[in-house]
Amino acid sequence: MMKPMKNNSFVARTRRFQLSNGVTLMVLENPANPTVSIAGSMRAGEYFSPAGKDSLAGITASMLGKGTRRRSKLEIAEEMESAGARVGLSSNTFTVSVSGLSLSRDLPMIVSTLAEELREPAFPAEELEKMRQRIIANIQEEQDDTRVRAYDRMTQLVFPEGNPFHQTPAEKAIGQIESITVDDIREFHQKFYGPSSMILAVVGDVKADDAYALFEEKLGKWQGAPEAVIDITETPLQPAAIRETVVMKDKPSADVVIGHASRLRRSNPDFIAARIANNALGQSTLSSRLGLKVRDEMGLTYGINSSFAESGIGDGPFVITVTVAPENISLAVGATVEIVNDYIANGIREDELKDEQSSIIGSFKIGLATNSGLANQLAASELFGLGVKYLDEYPSLVSTITKSDVDEAIRKYIHLEVATTVVAGTL
Amino acid sequence: MAYSKITEYDGITEYKLDSNDLKLLLAPRRAAPVVAFMVLYRVGSRNEAVGHTGATHLLEHMLFKGTPTYNKQNGTQIASVLQRQGGVYNADTWFDRTRYYEMLPSDQLELAVHIEADRMRNSFIADEDRQSEMTVVRNELERGENEPSNVLHERLWAAAFREHPYHHPTIGWRSDVEGMATSRLKEFYDTFYHPNNATAIIVGDFDESVALDLMSRHFNLIPPSPSPIPQMYTVEPPQEGEIRFTLRRTGQLGLINVGWHIPEATHPDTGALTVLDTLLSAGITSRLYQAMVETQMAVDVGAQAFQFVDPGLFMLHITLRPGVTHAEAERVGLEVIENMKTEDVPEKELQKAKNMITTQMIYLRDSPLGVARVIAEAEAVANWKMFVDLPKMVEQVTPADIKRVAATYFTEDNRTVGWFIPKQEEGIDSNDEAYEE
Repeated sequence: MMKPMKNNSFVARTRRFQLSNGVTLMVLENPANPTVSIAGSMRAGEYFSPAGKDSLAGITASMLGKGTRRRSKLEIAEEMESAGARVGLSSNTFTVSVSGLSLSRDLPMIVSTLAEELREPAFPAEELEKMRQRIIANIQEEQDDTRVRAYDRMTQLVFPEGNPFHQTPAEKAIGQIESITVDDIREFHQKFYGPSSMILAVVGDVKADDAYALFEEKLGKWQGAPEAVIDITETPLQPAAIRETVVMKDKPSADVVIGHASRLRRSNPDFIAARIANNALGQSTLSSRLGLKVRDEMGLTYGINSSFAESGIGDGPFVITVTVAPENISLAVGATVEIVNDYIANGIREDELKDEQSSIIGSFKIGLATNSGLANQLAASELFGLGVKYLDEYPSLVSTITKSDVDEAIRKYIHLEVATTVVAGTL
Repeated sequence: MAYSKITEYDGITEYKLDSNDLKLLLAPRRAAPVVAFMVLYRVGSRNEAVGHTGATHLLEHMLFKGTPTYNKQNGTQIASVLQRQGGVYNADTWFDRTRYYEMLPSDQLELAVHIEADRMRNSFIADEDRQSEMTVVRNELERGENEPSNVLHERLWAAAFREHPYHHPTIGWRSDVEGMATSRLKEFYDTFYHPNNATAIIVGDFDESVALDLMSRHFNLIPPSPSPIPQMYTVEPPQEGEIRFTLRRTGQLGLINVGWHIPEATHPDTGALTVLDTLLSAGITSRLYQAMVETQMAVDVGAQAFQFVDPGLFMLHITLRPGVTHAEAERVGLEVIENMKTEDVPEKELQKAKNMITTQMIYLRDSPLGVARVIAEAEAVANWKMFVDLPKMVEQVTPADIKRVAATYFTEDNRTVGWFIPKQEEGIDSNDEAYEE
């Protein structure tokens, strides 16, 4: 019998299952190391927090790890830590992320813990109180961070209140956290945690059929909330530039954040062109345009970057950040604006485009070299409706982008003329 | 053959290039088509003296500024060339070592080997580059000074070490960084950057014979150092009494750092100290977490055994909850430490700590760069075999070892304590603490 050709595509290597309650499960077997990584998501992030309780989604996700009706937080931690394993949930802007890591022999343990936490949370009041105090102290500590102060203020000026990208001011956030009750958490859990939007990717030393049987047994009968719908309107560009300062004491280095509404989501057809447009401008402090000038040549900063900070389900901001000594702020901002204006006027160079394409393809390959990297990419492709085949197609999609695609994306998505600039530091 | 095989241990093979004594460690792992390459130099801020602090780190930055082959002018700047391949690349400097690394798709191994061979001896180290890079480093230093936790940490080492160069931070003192002459950096480069003061490490998807061929082709012609590498000989004398200090500046939450002198990494107590730091602070079941975070005294707490070529410190750090005094938090933290001297750690708890350490080592194997980093760290402070032996060293630790080690090092005379007391900014209502002095 002829040996069949080995097909190394992600489509061929990934098994996709639907649990009987609708959970999407993807499994990729990789026996190289006796470990398993889990990544996934569910639509229950901060976007769903009700008005006046902006942190409820995050607190609910964390409270799921604080004990179940069967076991206390400490009993669960004893079991997990004794095996060096972990599994847990954390909230993002739109989704709650699931992540787990264990030796392959302990996979049943982390899956049943995850299921227990999702299906039978206890939400103990004393744990809420402890968490509340910790979160408040963390918010207070963050008020001492120039980067956080500048970034948060920029989002408050660019995005209207109620928009998920608008960071709630610290004092207001603390007041809201103080008002959250166990009933609020219970209600949020009932309303938004359910199997229908749940995606799980499992990568590592496990047989796909065994993983499916395990997840079906532990999670397949869970009937939670129906699928939550995300309907977020696009944030328009600001009408004019704004400049603000946040004055802080004892800060030898200031943070400058320049941002504006990007109007870019993962689902935009020109997403890859926009990504290349950004990468050439400011993805790497050491080798992108901004870094080559403001760091390498002018020596003004240790770090300067640009990014589409949260272009996923929604359209977050386009942001340029730079750290700089207070006396060099105008020099650094002046040079930044000049570089961006030149980039908009003349577009990307052909050689630069080629470099960025090979860079994205190479770093994609490197990112997929670990179990957790693979699990994250599988889960993200599913979340954005791209499917596993996207992982196989991505390099060629990147290769087909032309200079005019990128130039168009630059002109469409980068608009410093109406950007909001916030400087935080000892000014 | 241009190289000699020295030894093979747990899937890692050590070679030596015959022409110049460059040490080479090969750890093939073919799980994914990527490879990590790292060159470690046995030079760090430990090799700096008064007036030249920060030289090693500034020099590390200068090694990105180019060579006659790789430079901005001809479009082959090191960072750009590596970025083009989508590589993960950087360099970092610490007390005992400087390391340069690249993780690339496996067909690009030669690029990394060529760059590192080239910049070992051919870097420009030009005065105009030094001027612009000095201000980059100064901003890096200023960013660090923004963080009270970082400032407190540096002050603690400066207080605990009086004579030994672990006294000063790797980034250097500000005026030394500003005043450093290019000729001094060049001298540092010419003293320490030689194949016989380096270890090259390759981990991931590569063919051993191809890697050996690449290494001999690119490194063989580099001569060894013209004179022996100078050795650092300063010894920190015993502390002879507790040291205390206070740092006051604007901030939000109070902080406490405590440091005890502990022996060098090659000391037989290393295994017990590693387990001790895990028992004290890893996970929510750990002793410090239970005593301080669960009880609402601290927002965060941690312990770490910093083990180096020369004796280092075992550190305890506490971030205070608003309303809790430094004195009270310190008392509770030290009580947890004190208990380790007299109590027999239950077997189950000890096993948990050991499992946490050994599973962490297994998880690490998922990433070639992760493996290269840990091999390099072991090689820098002791010998790369310690990377392989650590799980065994940890398994052998007994409750009696924990008690003995705690009693030996956690003494009052051997202790340095620093408090960060925040001065309040107006605005956020946060710290209603009545300062306790």
